[in-house]
Amino acid sequence: MMSLYLFSLFNGLVMGQAIFLVAAGLTLAFGIMKIFNFAHGAFFMIGAYVAHALTGQEAASLPLFLGAAFAAAIVVGAMGVATDLVVFRRLAGVPTEYTLIAAFSVMLLASGGAELVFGQGIHAIYPPAALGGLIQMGIPISVYSIFIVGAGVVAFLVLEIGLNRLWFGKLIQAVARDPWMSDVAGLRVQRIKLISVAISFALAGLAGGLLVANQSLSLDLGHSYLLLAFCAVIVGGLGSVKGAFFAAILFGLADSLNYILLPTMPGVAVYALLIVLVLIRPQGFYPELSQ
Amino acid sequence: MILEANGIEKSYGALKVLHGIDLSVDEGETFAIIGPNGAGKTTLFKVLTGESPANSGVVRFRGQDVTKMSDFRRARLGFGRTFQVARIFPEVDVFTNVAIAVEARLSAEGRSPGRWWDWRASSQVALEVEEILERFGFARARWRTEARYLSHGDRKRLEFCIALATRPALLMLDEPTAGMSPSDRREMTGLLARLKRDGGVSIVMTEHDMDIIFELADRLMVLNYGEALATGEPAAVRRDPVVREVYLGQHHA
Amino acid sequence: MKRLIAYGLVLLFLLFATAPYTVNAGLVFIAGIAMTEIIFALSWNMLFSYAGLASFGHAAFFGVGAYTAAVFLKYDYGLHFLLVIALGTFLGGVSSFVVAIIVLRRASGIQLAILTLALSQLVVTLIGYSAFLGRDEGIPSIPRPVMEFGLFRIDMNDQVQAYYFLFVMSLLAVALMWLLLHGYVGRRMKAVAIDPERAAFVGIDVWRVRVFAFTIGGAFAAFAGCLLVPWAQIVTPDLVMWLHSAQPMLATLLGGAGFFWGPIIGVLVLSMVNYATRTFAGLSEVLVGGILLIVVLLAPQGIMGFLRRIVERSSTGKPAMVEEQA
Repeated sequence: MMSLYLFSLFNGLVMGQAIFLVAAGLTLAFGIMKIFNFAHGAFFMIGAYVAHALTGQEAASLPLFLGAAFAAAIVVGAMGVATDLVVFRRLAGVPTEYTLIAAFSVMLLASGGAELVFGQGIHAIYPPAALGGLIQMGIPISVYSIFIVGAGVVAFLVLEIGLNRLWFGKLIQAVARDPWMSDVAGLRVQRIKLISVAISFALAGLAGGLLVANQSLSLDLGHSYLLLAFCAVIVGGLGSVKGAFFAAILFGLADSLNYILLPTMPGVAVYALLIVLVLIRPQGFYPELSQ
Repeated sequence: MILEANGIEKSYGALKVLHGIDLSVDEGETFAIIGPNGAGKTTLFKVLTGESPANSGVVRFRGQDVTKMSDFRRARLGFGRTFQVARIFPEVDVFTNVAIAVEARLSAEGRSPGRWWDWRASSQVALEVEEILERFGFARARWRTEARYLSHGDRKRLEFCIALATRPALLMLDEPTAGMSPSDRREMTGLLARLKRDGGVSIVMTEHDMDIIFELADRLMVLNYGEALATGEPAAVRRDPVVREVYLGQHHA
Repeated sequence: MKRLIAYGLVLLFLLFATAPYTVNAGLVFIAGIAMTEIIFALSWNMLFSYAGLASFGHAAFFGVGAYTAAVFLKYDYGLHFLLVIALGTFLGGVSSFVVAIIVLRRASGIQLAILTLALSQLVVTLIGYSAFLGRDEGIPSIPRPVMEFGLFRIDMNDQVQAYYFLFVMSLLAVALMWLLLHGYVGRRMKAVAIDPERAAFVGIDVWRVRVFAFTIGGAFAAFAGCLLVPWAQIVTPDLVMWLHSAQPMLATLLGGAGFFWGPIIGVLVLSMVNYATRTFAGLSEVLVGGILLIVVLLAPQGIMGFLRRIVERSSTGKPAMVEEQA
């Protein structure tokens, strides 16, 4: 019984880190552009497809797997640059509802385009041999899930330290807080924004490349993590990386414990949690960057 | 006494903007709040209208505590309000702008604003809207013009019509002539003077233009650095040596 | 512009009224679907343009109506179909009222979008639990009702009778919404949509107006859902999914938000795009996404706004004389 709970807690953690890998780019994009990028999940999916195209069903080695994920990040990051130049940049000052719908149409374009390019088939993907094993730690744990948790934590630390300690991170924060003042202060606002949007999209692509082996690759892939990532960003506080991190873990745990405590109603706990949390704290855990 | 405020304090973070303001406005009185830029006029005004909560202090309307009352309940009690930059409903026509206010008042009074399936305003509403628009010089030909095509001065006048259509007991005017041309300014002053003459409404206003203040106000309060320097009749305030030094001196050398 | 709209509406009326005798069966089927989508889109626009609320989960209420009708027809409880429609609409109204009470108190803008989206996915999840509702597969091959009216009867098994039943019901719903939104209720809602703070300062209870709009909007969406069932004869969780919630948004933006008739034009354009691209997977999404993006970026007032600009320009430039509400 005990090991069942342990197993479930660990699964929740893995799920939470997977959600965070998707949510990180989303919340970063909101902080910079003040646009809630509905299309993020579609680009996550494109990242997964790109990585799959490079490695095939099972990556031959760990470096190849990681290389494919980074390649996916670069491809999707480039798409982000294009999207920003063509769409998001022009939406400054447009009411929120319209930016949401614009992001929504980008999502339709991206997922429709992926359907045209990659087809509708479902592919089963396996992690590379180096990540394929199981470890006994009281409970059997797959190496790949440890890898996901590690990737999530690394992404979190890199973003937190990068944004708060490094010079470029501070520039991004300045632009996010007050673009007008940053402009007056001589920062190249548009360029910094463009780079951060590229980073945000690259994160979506990277997440796609890393998580691709976690489940079968299909056109539905985008939506499974996507909604939970949306929820994590809202509950964590729009624009806050830290908030998204903790909220993602919370949602992961809720979903995983749901299977033990309410086995007849899978997937209902996350919605209940979302509603309660939004009613208690509509501005999120860390509302610092939101408006 | 229609409006009374006691010990109003307000800070933005560490910056204290209002240091315990007291004021009272009598029924039918026109009360002006003046002071140099940054004195806290607008902040005080927003505390009185309820848009911005005070850190401490109480606002009473005819003896009733309204400090934390929501905007629409205040409006139903008898607060009317105009904004520095006129806020109208730009996407509907002039007539509808006023009809919205008349109908809101009728519903709040528990009376029917008309039949729900009737796309025209009921004859009672229409009559009232027409009366207000004519009184404030909107020619019948312009009633079907979308309000966003109005000039700045006309917007201010229309906002005034909206505020009056709710039949307020207390009109809160935030710089009623801000950004107006001299002719519009004269016209607005005339409107306010007439409104005062007709009686039945008290006015609290902030204003930059001293001539308008001295023409309209029964009493005024001079704010400086968030404190009330002086309160009283215009002539008395004008004679006050402290006020002359810190404020009027800049204008009436 | 007013005359243009009048001509357009007459043309539209004639097209829909004569469809069973002028076009092939496939297009008649699409026309029937389009009518329910028109009601659905108008009900969303009621929230968006007349109360300033962008719901991303409106399909949930459509689903409440559709599943109510499907259950009553499939399991044959013998209730008169008009009463089934009334019940479905009522349940849609009740559920949207409850959602409005929960959601509108604290959330707005993005929070509202995500909450409504999540709630509609919750409905999908709940449907998945129920064998009674067909789980993920939905309820297929739903029989069509026969309605007795004493003096006459409507047998929906007859394609033409079914079509005209749909047509009349849709006209009724559109007329009801038009009247509601052009009377004092609509004026009050419009005031809230344009500037909630200003509306509050004339004594309008913004929260109540929004809850009211949300409730009525949900009821009309459920009504549309009820109508769809005997026509399509199948319901699936797809009707509740976010992609279906997106349809009225797309239609409204495309046709012109802020115009009562905008969503109708949007639905027609979308139906045509979907019909023309039905054999290419993904192409319709690309086209719809692309068109919508162009609309949002270049003509935020949609097709109606674009037409109005042209009319204004050609009528010797008298922008001041534009009609109030098209």
